[in-house]
Amino acid sequence: MKLGKSIVLAAMLSVGMAANASAEDIVVGSSLGLTGYGSITDGHWRDGMTIAIEAINEKGGVLGKKLKLVYEDNKSTPQQAVVVYRKMMSEDKAVVFDSGCISAGNFAAASFVTKAKLPMFLCSILPRLPDEQKWAFSFLPPPKFEVETRYEYLKKIGITKIGILGDPSPYGTIMRNIALAEAKAAGMDVVANESYQQEDSDFSVQIGRINASGGGAIIMIGQGNAVITTANNIKQLGLNKMLLLSSINERDLVLAAGKILGDQFMFPAPLIQVAQDDPSVITNPTTKAAVEDFFKRMKAKFGDIDPAQSSRAFDSIMMMAKAMEMAKSTDGEAVREAVEKIGHYDGVGASYDFSATQHVGVTKNPYAMAHVVNGKIAFKK
Amino acid sequence: MPSVVELVQSLVNGVGIGLVYGLIAIGFCVIYNASGIVNFAQGVFVMLGGMFAYSFLVTLKWPLALAAAASIIVVAGIGVLVQIFIIRPMWERKAPMFAIILATLAVQLLIEQIVILTMGDQPRTYPEFTLGGPLKLGPIAIGYQLFWVLGCGALMVVLLQLFFNKTRVGRALRACSQNREAAALLGIPVGGMLMLSFALSAGLGAAAGILITPTQYTAYSVGAPFGVNGFISAIIGGFGSAPAALAGGILLGVVQSAAIVVFGAGYKNVIALTVLLIVLLFFPKGLFGGLAKKH
Repeated sequence: MKLGKSIVLAAMLSVGMAANASAEDIVVGSSLGLTGYGSITDGHWRDGMTIAIEAINEKGGVLGKKLKLVYEDNKSTPQQAVVVYRKMMSEDKAVVFDSGCISAGNFAAASFVTKAKLPMFLCSILPRLPDEQKWAFSFLPPPKFEVETRYEYLKKIGITKIGILGDPSPYGTIMRNIALAEAKAAGMDVVANESYQQEDSDFSVQIGRINASGGGAIIMIGQGNAVITTANNIKQLGLNKMLLLSSINERDLVLAAGKILGDQFMFPAPLIQVAQDDPSVITNPTTKAAVEDFFKRMKAKFGDIDPAQSSRAFDSIMMMAKAMEMAKSTDGEAVREAVEKIGHYDGVGASYDFSATQHVGVTKNPYAMAHVVNGKIAFKK
Repeated sequence: MPSVVELVQSLVNGVGIGLVYGLIAIGFCVIYNASGIVNFAQGVFVMLGGMFAYSFLVTLKWPLALAAAASIIVVAGIGVLVQIFIIRPMWERKAPMFAIILATLAVQLLIEQIVILTMGDQPRTYPEFTLGGPLKLGPIAIGYQLFWVLGCGALMVVLLQLFFNKTRVGRALRACSQNREAAALLGIPVGGMLMLSFALSAGLGAAAGILITPTQYTAYSVGAPFGVNGFISAIIGGFGSAPAALAGGILLGVVQSAAIVVFGAGYKNVIALTVLLIVLLFFPKGLFGGLAKKH
């Protein structure tokens, strides 16, 4: 009898706790590649969301409720992303998603997330289908900006023969296609078009082919540790004049690649990544104050991590909160419509212009070419 | 059609990475021959070798030789701990072989997570052991690190051969590989030999990691691909002897490299696995398996 009462009491308590959790918190789900090739970028995306949520909750939260971040590791694979999205929907009762940069993972989950009418704020590119894009908001600057920044720089310094070295991820494939399509108009001649796999340990063959084809610069497409292998391989092949123009990348990675290749290495960088070493590059006083507050919070919580991803993650949560306030609701449909009505928004990582027809927030090229000087990131002059 | 220069350069690159695969394959063989266990944690020893070498060399600024020796000893110690705390208890409780092999896979994941939590997920690299280079032979470039890999790989194979053929302990280890029960009846401490095999294997993996890190990077995640390629190399060469495993590694490295030149990077593993299947179809004990048995 006593056992029976205990079970009933425990059941009542657990129901009560579950009801409390859903009544008090607004659960933001996040699928992140915390292990695997996306671990660094997605780790920073999580950090940016964390400090944004802390900042919002310090001021009383949203609609009188606290925001609560629930994140799961998708191991940088689409298969695991499907599992964790489903878990966060069914068990954690996430009302909105703010997920990392593993585009294949977000693509894989987009169909059932959008069927549930849950908005997706993404570090990655948008899913492919229009019905899915309707519910997704990308905080990633479009891949074309990375390509254009590098082409413009090469044109300026008089290098026109280039080789492409890209990974086969959805993001990489899109950027490669853009790079090939825009090359002619930018005055570039793509003399070699090579691929690599993230887990490969040597790219000498591909680099050698680019060199043998007369390429003066390698346009590397794809983020992650592979940039270090590429830099090492260029050095080992003795290609002292070959330039390596990587994709946007994490601070640790570009510093490591810059240390290996020196002036031969450069990359497109957003303002905030350079501002971490040289705050004077930000001249707008409003932006400067916001960025300083962001750096202060970030440093206190996580140290000197790369701000490129985390700042946009910070912005994504801030815009999510703003949309909920505007909608006076956390209902997916209402939040989605509110995001489309926010209009121009100046964040710490970039400026965004979402609308009903524009779900890629960054519409102006936020990059300029940067390089590594004495262990610090600086704009190329 | 690739040019001759491309093919020769790919051969050079393939030999370089293949030597590293070979060293990892030898590590697989040492444990397998002593116990019948396929140690799927072999790849993490490669990763740990690079990680510790970075810490000693770059962070603590120790001299290269000291940093390398210390890394090998530390990783060999980790190998011993794995044997003592995971393998030995299962072995003594007569756990099925598949369970022990599965446990080595769990060890790999466990060590990776520990590395993330304690050392972080940032990739690390350090300069080549001999600065400058590469050596240019016409249009062919050979990085100085390749000579280090070649020299150290050859030295380790020679030392292993001497160890297995000329020392009592080495011969005892070989006896275990041929018949563990008979070796135990002859008074050979089979458990101790198993521990030694883990130390040797981990040390070899660490050496491979120390040698390869300057040509790419090391991070918590590099162990698995190296482990897979080392395992394939061991199968191609046959689990019989160190030179056979090394040859298997070189063959795999060259095939992968040539596949990139001829078919593109996406086909690298397709071709490598096709070669593996062909080898298994026609030489089920590996290319050098039969040869090793005769000795």
